[in-house]
Amino acid sequence: MPVPILKQGDVLIASIQAALTDHDLLTLRDELADRVGRLRAHGVIVDVTALDVLDSFATRTLLGIAYTARLRGAETVVVGIQPEVAFAMVQLGLSLEGVATALDLEEGLELLRARSQGGRDHAG
Amino acid sequence: MPDEVRVPVECETDIVVARQKGRELAAASGFRRTEQTLIATAISEVARNIVVYAQRGEIVLCAIESKERRGLKIVARDQGPGIADPELAMRDGYSTTNSLGVGLPGARRLMDEFELESKPGQGTTVTMCKWVR
Amino acid sequence: MADRQVAERNLMAEMQITDANIERRKKMVGLTAADLSRISGLKEIVLAHVDESTATFFEFLAGLEEAKGLVSKRDLMERARQLKSEHLAAMVQAHYDRHYVEQRIVLGLLYSEAGLDTRAFLGACHALLKNTGMTSMKHFERSPLEGFESFMSLKKIAFFDIGVIMDVLVFERERVIRQQQEAIRELSTPVLQIRDRLLLLPIIGVIDTNRARLITESLLRAIRDNRAKMVVMDVTGVASIDSRVANHLLQTVSAARLMGALVIVTGVSSEVAQSLVALGIELTKVNTVGDLQGGVEEAERLLGYRVVQTPPAAAQSS
Repeated sequence: MPVPILKQGDVLIASIQAALTDHDLLTLRDELADRVGRLRAHGVIVDVTALDVLDSFATRTLLGIAYTARLRGAETVVVGIQPEVAFAMVQLGLSLEGVATALDLEEGLELLRARSQGGRDHAG
Repeated sequence: MPDEVRVPVECETDIVVARQKGRELAAASGFRRTEQTLIATAISEVARNIVVYAQRGEIVLCAIESKERRGLKIVARDQGPGIADPELAMRDGYSTTNSLGVGLPGARRLMDEFELESKPGQGTTVTMCKWVR
Repeated sequence: MADRQVAERNLMAEMQITDANIERRKKMVGLTAADLSRISGLKEIVLAHVDESTATFFEFLAGLEEAKGLVSKRDLMERARQLKSEHLAAMVQAHYDRHYVEQRIVLGLLYSEAGLDTRAFLGACHALLKNTGMTSMKHFERSPLEGFESFMSLKKIAFFDIGVIMDVLVFERERVIRQQQEAIRELSTPVLQIRDRLLLLPIIGVIDTNRARLITESLLRAIRDNRAKMVVMDVTGVASIDSRVANHLLQTVSAARLMGALVIVTGVSSEVAQSLVALGIELTKVNTVGDLQGGVEEAERLLGYRVVQTPPAAAQSS
């Protein structure tokens, strides 16, 4: 189940539509790594609004996406973590340390804009 | 809604199936959304352990009742290699596969009751329960 | 009507009215097979007086201030009368199963809905029993001992019924209390929006694991609903902050961050800060600002608000 990846300016936006298998997550990671390089993106937004569970594997993959993106010069923002999911993640002991987060796509884009202009960062 | 649901876990797609069934049963038992998510997340962790370490196993979900409240019992069972040192496995940060090491201790934090039974060569059984508040 | 049926079903489940449970209830009033045959012996006489008995019950209630909640509502009274007549007829059928108990639960729920005082209910039951007793004894004039024994058997099933209805009233009262406690819990974890994108979470009192969970859930939902980017969490009023409480607070901060919101913690006294450091709790990952005022100002600054002071109105001349 491919995840649609859109390009808006120099930002790649990956909107996860439904629960992904481990394989799908890894494919997403590789796809994003590839496109960041090819399209010279400076920002990546991964929208997890539709995910009702973010377990340790998914979190690890998100960290992987951010790490690879950073190696290629792009900043990643994870957006759309739902209240129940955020709660479960901290109970589980997962923190997405080092990866920026924002409430939704709009906020994510704003965050990337502010950072690229050397603005103050508010979260992450 | 049946009282017991068995989900065979043999490949990674079964992880999603197991946790979605878990969420359904949790909702039917009267758990709130937040608690449903905790349960689904815990199932995801133990189901993945089965796939990663034992290749195949099963997850059994049961609606349970005690004197005053309802709950959900989850049994994750496999005939895999077993865990040599269960105590070590339950320690945060410990991982044999370069993962985040939160699987088992993390799942325990999400549930109300948690039991781990495992011996090398004899497979692993994780039993967890959560009660509706 | 559908709501009522759902309530009935839920209550049946909560009260665990199983066959085993019913046998226990019969045992508790001492109901035996001999009783059943004596009750059957009273069938004709009781059935002939059902209307009179029902009237006695409700007339007694009508005379009590405490029963006003029921007596003043015509539709409830009509339904109650209907049910009571059916009950009296069923009492002498000597067959007491789940359906029998269900009937009484329905009436119990009605009494609960009307707020019927339990003492008034018991008084009316007594009046009804006395009336039935007199009727029975008259019928057994020639064999008073047999009459007495028959009436005592009937009384057992009357107490069985009273037991069920009292249970319903207790269950329903406890339900109301639980709901009130839930409401109090909600009120005690208020999240206030004090500016666009800025929430204030004043925490007061004792924080146990349960409350900490509720506070976190409340806050996270509020972050989503208000699209908040900043939260000032003031802990000045927290009774005591030990490592457990501190960990709860740290978790709240982490969870809020996952939703893109920064939490500024205010009200951590230097003593508390020191003791937490001694316990190994890392406060470096948390923004702490001395007091609430300072915290709000810092949050506003980070959000890009500039506070400008305008001259007071009185100073403006024409």
